[in-house]
Amino acid sequence: MTQQQQPATTGPGTTIPAPSVRQLTFQWAGGPAIPVLSVVIALLLGAVFVLLSGNDPVAAYAALVQGAFGTPYDLTETLVAAIPLVLTGLAVAIAFRTGLFNIGAQGQLLVGALAAGWAGAQFASWPGIVLMPTVIVFGVAGGAFYGGIVGFLKAVRGVNEVITTIMLNYTIVFVMHWLLQAGPMSAPNALGTPASTPIGAGARLPVIIPNELVLFSRLHAGIILAALAVVVFWFVLWRTPLGYRLRAVGLGAHAAAQAGIDPARHMVLVMAIAGGFAGLGGMIEVSGIFGRVYDGFSSSYGFDAIAVALLGKNSPLGIVFAALLFGAFVHGGAYMQSHAGISSNLVAIIQAFVLFVIAAEALVRSLTRRRGARKPVEAIA
Amino acid sequence: MKRFLAFSVLAATIVASCATTGTPGASGTPAASGSATGAHPRIGLVTDVGGLNDKSFNSLADKGRKDAESQLIVTTSVTESKQQADYVPNLTKYAQDKYDLVIGVGFLMQNAIWKVAKQFPNVKFAIIDGAPQDDGGKTENLPNVANLFFKEQEAGYVVGVIAATMAKNKVGAATHNTVCSMGGIPIPPVDRYIAGYQDAVKTVSPTTKILNGYSNDFVDQQKGLEVGKSHIAQGCDILFQVAGGSGLGYIQAAKAAGVYAIGVDADQSSVAPGTVITSALKKVDVAVFQTIRSIRLDTFKAGDNSFNAANDGVGFGTLDKVVPADAKAAATQALADIKSGKITPKDTVQVKP
Repeated sequence: MTQQQQPATTGPGTTIPAPSVRQLTFQWAGGPAIPVLSVVIALLLGAVFVLLSGNDPVAAYAALVQGAFGTPYDLTETLVAAIPLVLTGLAVAIAFRTGLFNIGAQGQLLVGALAAGWAGAQFASWPGIVLMPTVIVFGVAGGAFYGGIVGFLKAVRGVNEVITTIMLNYTIVFVMHWLLQAGPMSAPNALGTPASTPIGAGARLPVIIPNELVLFSRLHAGIILAALAVVVFWFVLWRTPLGYRLRAVGLGAHAAAQAGIDPARHMVLVMAIAGGFAGLGGMIEVSGIFGRVYDGFSSSYGFDAIAVALLGKNSPLGIVFAALLFGAFVHGGAYMQSHAGISSNLVAIIQAFVLFVIAAEALVRSLTRRRGARKPVEAIA
Repeated sequence: MKRFLAFSVLAATIVASCATTGTPGASGTPAASGSATGAHPRIGLVTDVGGLNDKSFNSLADKGRKDAESQLIVTTSVTESKQQADYVPNLTKYAQDKYDLVIGVGFLMQNAIWKVAKQFPNVKFAIIDGAPQDDGGKTENLPNVANLFFKEQEAGYVVGVIAATMAKNKVGAATHNTVCSMGGIPIPPVDRYIAGYQDAVKTVSPTTKILNGYSNDFVDQQKGLEVGKSHIAQGCDILFQVAGGSGLGYIQAAKAAGVYAIGVDADQSSVAPGTVITSALKKVDVAVFQTIRSIRLDTFKAGDNSFNAANDGVGFGTLDKVVPADAKAAATQALADIKSGKITPKDTVQVKP
């Protein structure tokens, strides 16, 4: 079972003598081919829009690349932008693997941020060695609780998770307005943007790039937490019995039930885990970037996450690459606007095309398949 | 093997084409910055999350930038912020590129300006509608930051005079003697507009009913539309929006119901002709232009800079033909009285939601 689970990552020829071309083609077609082609097609379609707006697409994309990776500072900023997307991407992906469509990463991230922000301010005087784990636990638990509600409703009443996640996204936005504008979490500060009381110094994720190396970098230790989360995602799904059961439910809840796996219980579990990932993402933004919770600080991390998970094919490495790509879009887009004079909304257009093309995967698949080649066998990966 | 080779060639081509796409940028940018390091001051403008097409605040700041580009000898560019986390890197990019002046549009950037301006003491900054604010939320004036403030209550007062006069005399569709306003988030600049508006209504027409609400958003039009519908259902027929992009939804609600709206910041008469009777102008473009000019003339002033009726920093916009002559005369008189100091509009909101 385990051998055939990683068709994309197993390199050619370990003990088996020289893999056939057909095998390689299958690996390419089943692995990175569709995401890569989707991005290429999306970029080409985006270029059409640049042309239509009377600009030069080559200059636009050059500025985009330059803006995202041009200097060490830009590189670190691209990473900073990618971190929350990795976590929300994992939140969407793990639910996908269990057959659930988690549109609620946005809400789960906000709950995680609020919980972490509350704990960070409440226990501000604690030393970092105690406070940091506390804040992490609060962030993860907050998100897990919010995701768990969705799983619970699905398991107990069969309520469609798409509906509940979308509704809960709205709920938390307004709860957040209340908490931060006039409610118990709002900072008493006459001139300020609605925000919570700053978290304690011990709850701040330190910047990991010294100023001598990259001046004013904001790249914080959250990247380590994100990397750990990716490993946990991989380990849980592919190296534990729980992960096996989750994937079994995802492939067919009825079949899984026949095999003695309780789908309902696993739906609650997976939504809690998904919420935990997103909540950690919220905690990282609060601890690593803002140092407090700003009202409406996250506009789209949870929604971009759907694109990230789809583009990453719900695989750990795929999500990392997709998040990096979207992080590059976010940070490079600003530079493209200021230096090539092209609206950074182009980035949103390209992202939309990426989604669109992935949704039309069947079409792309037919383009990648060579004459007569049989459809590669989909493994449980 | 042949196909494997073909595939490698394909891959190589893709990589090569990516590389060539990268080259123009790599060679183009140093050239661009090289030409600009001469005498021309370079000005960078960073919008807040409202974006350039809010037909209000950010678009006005951008107009000021463009006016400066065409009338003064300066080079300018603009960056839109997509989310709050973008403020610091967007401001930092311009500072790193050694721009002479970096302008942050909006109150929401107070902490970001503080962070970046402290790191780049040799770059001048300006922030519209705010002042640098440290991590604890305390205002700290910096020697390289100009804080551009407006007396919004003065603009709110003048349009309030128009609304009150029309409500009192039941002009056109304004039949319920009720006026209302909607802010985005209840932050001081928003509330100052509303305070002036309410002050004028209470002064000019004490019997007129006043409603007030917030969309809790500066972007989402739908939220503005919902608040607008609710206000209209309560009898309001003159709706004053103070919510950026979200306020456009408020205007849409007025248009759909056939009642009147008042625009904000920019002249919004073109948003819905016949619906928008006038606009409370906060001349962000004037402030941006003047600040860029101060760089040219070397008269840049750090700390608070006030834009008000007296220096033409606020006012009212195009009047629709439904606005009667007496309302227009009253508004003009009120503006003159504010200039001369005869009227001092209140700056705290009296009617809360």
